[in-house]
This record gives sequence, C-alpha cells and structure tokens, in this order.
Amino acid sequence: MPEAVLRAEWVSVSFGGLRAVDGVALEVGPRELVGVIGPNGAGKTTFFHTLSGVLAPTAGRIWVAGADLTGRPAHVFAMHGVARTFQTPRVFRGMSAEDNVRFGLAFAGRRRRHPHDAFDDARSILGFLGLRSEAAVAAGALPPARQRLLEIGMALGARPQVLLLDEVAAGLTESEVQATAKLIARVRSELGLAVIWIEHAVRALLDCVERVVVLHQGRKIADGVPRAVARDPAVVEAYLGIEGEHT
Amino acid sequence: MGLLLELAAGGLIAGGIYAVVAMGLNLQYGLMRIMNISHGEFLMLGAYLTWFAHTTFQVNPLLFLPAAAGLLFLLGLAVYGLCFRRIVRTAPSLEVIEARSLLVGFGLMFLVQNAVYLAWGADLQGYSFLTQPVEIAGARFGANRLLVFGFAVGASLALLALLRWTLVGKAVRAMMQSPTGAQLVGIDTGVLHPVVFGAGLALAGVAGALLSMVYVISPSMGEPYTVTALIVITLGGLGSAAGCLVGGLLLGLVEAFGMHYANPSFKMLLSYGVLIAVLIARPQGLFKR
Repeated sequence: MPEAVLRAEWVSVSFGGLRAVDGVALEVGPRELVGVIGPNGAGKTTFFHTLSGVLAPTAGRIWVAGADLTGRPAHVFAMHGVARTFQTPRVFRGMSAEDNVRFGLAFAGRRRRHPHDAFDDARSILGFLGLRSEAAVAAGALPPARQRLLEIGMALGARPQVLLLDEVAAGLTESEVQATAKLIARVRSELGLAVIWIEHAVRALLDCVERVVVLHQGRKIADGVPRAVARDPAVVEAYLGIEGEHT
Repeated sequence: MGLLLELAAGGLIAGGIYAVVAMGLNLQYGLMRIMNISHGEFLMLGAYLTWFAHTTFQVNPLLFLPAAAGLLFLLGLAVYGLCFRRIVRTAPSLEVIEARSLLVGFGLMFLVQNAVYLAWGADLQGYSFLTQPVEIAGARFGANRLLVFGFAVGASLALLALLRWTLVGKAVRAMMQSPTGAQLVGIDTGVLHPVVFGAGLALAGVAGALLSMVYVISPSMGEPYTVTALIVITLGGLGSAAGCLVGGLLLGLVEAFGMHYANPSFKMLLSYGVLIAVLIARPQGLFKR
C-alpha cells in the first residue's frame, strides 16, 4: 500500500470535561475519496479541525505525507498539502475571486509543483470550477453557493494533495447537490487529489464515495464501503435510524 | 480668502498627522484586535528621538524620518514579542484579545511615558526647523508645516499602495477579512503579526517625528493622539486605511474651523462631538458600505 497522504492516530479533543473527539484513527491514501458522516454533535467538524491544523488535538498524532505535524499551525498543514473548506465560507470578501485563488498559489502552494495544468494559475482553477466569468467579481458579492465553490478554488490554489470538504452540500437544492457531487468526483479523477468529505445529507454522499467513516459521540463506529456501513446495526441505530424517522 | 486658506491649511496639517497615527493603530487593531492604548506614547517617543538627534547631533529631522520609522519598527517587534504574542496565542476569542491587550497597553503607556520623563525631564522641548514663511495665494505658511503635510500624506498614500498592490499588503488585507482563511492558504500569522504591529509603531514614530518639526513636545503629548486616532478609525471605518486618511483630514478641518469660529478650548469637545455623531448616524464608519 502506498504511503498515506493523511494519517490520524488515535486523535482526541477535549473541551474542558467534554470529549468531542475520542480516539479516532483514520488513514487516507492517494486519490482516495472518503466520506465522513455522523449525527449532529458527533465531532465531525472538530475532527476536521485537527486534520487541518486549525485545532491541535489533546492527544494523538497527525501525519501528512509522512511528516508528523501534530500541534503545528494551520499554515504549515497548508504548506504540506492539506487544503480545506468550511461550513460557512472563509473567503476574502473584499477581493476579487481571482485574487482569492491567487493567495494559495502565492503562499501555501508556492514551493510545490503539481503535475496538473489546472494548478498553474488562478484562471484555470476558476475555469475548472465554472467560475471563470466571475473572476473579477468581489468574493463577498457572489451568492452563497458560488462562494462555496470559490472556497474550493482557494483550497485548490494551495496545490494540495488532499482536500477536506466540510458540508459543501448543506443548504443546496437537490440539483446543486448533484452538481457538487459530480465536481467532487472530478477533483479526484481529473486532478488526482485525495478527498475527505463530511456531510450531513447522507444519501448524496453515500452515492458518491467508495469508503465511508461514521462518527458517533466522538468515536468512530464504522469504516468501510457504503453498502456495508449502511447495513451496520450500530450505524443504523446511531444515525440512519434517526434519519429514517424523518423521511 | 487668505484666512480661510490658512485655517484649511492648519486643519489639513493636523489632519495629515492624525491620519498617519490612526493608520498605525488601525493596522494593529484591524489585523490582530490589539487595542494598543499606548499607541500615542510611541508617537511621543518618535518625537523625542527626532528632537534628541537634532539638538544633540545636529541631524536633519527630515533625514531622521526613516531612522525614526526603523527604530520604532524594531521596538514594535520587541514589544510584540514580549507582550502581545502570548495574548494573541492564548486568548480563546478576539474579544478576549481586545480586553487583555487594553490592560497591557495601559501598562506600556506608563512605562514609556515615565521612561521619557526619566531620560529627558518633564519640560516642554522643541527646536525650530525651516520656519521661514512661504506665500501661496495670499496666505502665508511656515515651510516646515507644508513639508509636514506633504510627508504625512505621502506616508499615508505609500501605505495604501503597499496594502493594495504588494503581495504582503494583500496578505495583510486577506488576514483582516478572514483570519482563518488566510492561514489555510498558507499565510503565516507568526511572521505577519509582529511585522504589522511593528509597522503600526513605525507609523506612530513617523507621525511623532513630523510633529516635532512644528509643535513643542512633552512626555504627556501622546495620550490625546491615541484618543484622536480612535476617533479617526471610527470615522473612517475599522480596518480601512483609506478611511483613515480621509477621516483624519476631515477631523483636522473640523477642529481648525470649529476652534476659530467657536473657541480654541472646544477642541476635544468638537472631536468627541464628531465621534458621537458618527456613532449615532453611521456606526460602521463614514466610508464603509
């Protein structure tokens, strides 16, 4: 098996007495597309924060492409090829879409070359996302769904090896969710990135990924192909059962 | 006509200095939420250093301008490293940074002020520099005042250009608009924060050096400038450098005309009046949409 692009070893995060993440291990190989699901408060986003350096884990280690980055700040993770998005886009509102994408190319992605042409300049990244016509528009003036796309563009600008997506489909219409799922598949197949995708809307995710991890109350309760995970009694009880009641 | 011109010139000169001081504070507050209440003390320090270099070593104050900026920049790096780095690192939220840095700033204020009392005494100091009058359109101005105005506006425009067109400047603006986003595209706060804090003090130093060319100086001169800088930032909008320039000039004009037509002792009243009016009518600042 090739070296993992991202490896989390028994990562825990405590806030005071609360264990938000409790000993989660995850290994993601090159070009892998992994979904992470779990009910609200399962610790998905907190776990993501540790994978991207936004939050240092209270215990456990994080390895990026063979380097131990535990406790290092977020920009170091970005330099090593970890890029991510947020539930509410962290775009630079006062600057043009193109400038937003340029930052990654000029800072985190500066020293890395990437074999794919799409990472050469901001315009081809915007083109890949279908945002080329909005290149000169201020990021804050874009509608929310476009801002989310732009944030993926900012992440791609960092010439990453692994892309972490935090609920990119939340609040989108059914057809927009389909388009997003298609885009994520293209990020993996055309750009060759590993992708870890957190989503609350389980069905869109399960249709798209080949491996899914389920978090519940800070613990990993399942990890496998979607079909098997969806039938796992622990998962059904923790998550899908609850959702089933609503639909 | 001549009188109006002279009043306007006086207002713009004071306003130019307000703009430079406010830009420095705005960088610190806008980027890191460091409420550096001792900002005016570093202006005072810049003024004293310039006065000292001029009266002791006969250094031309204009030539000393870059030195004042450089010295205060280095001092800024040291102050950030010693006092504010820990606060920014350990604070759980931006509000906590504000509150804690306010206390540290208070301490620094006493420290810097009393260090200057100790070194140079409490007397008013000053020197005359290029005081010969220049006549423009029937009004007479001291050559030094025109120079001060020119350099103040020049420094403000240089900072604006730096923020707008250089990569570092864009990174600073990016960090103001989204601190987390900036980190995730690889911008290193560990480098940018001290540099920007230092640049803020450098601007205070430049403003102080310019002030010393036209006004008498004293160890207690700094604090009113901190207050004025806060008013200008409120006027121009938080984090907006261009707003600082326009807001500073505007406040200078309001003060100059107000003091002439009302009473010189109304100066602070006028400034606070402007502040309160802006807070009521446009709390986001005059120039922010």
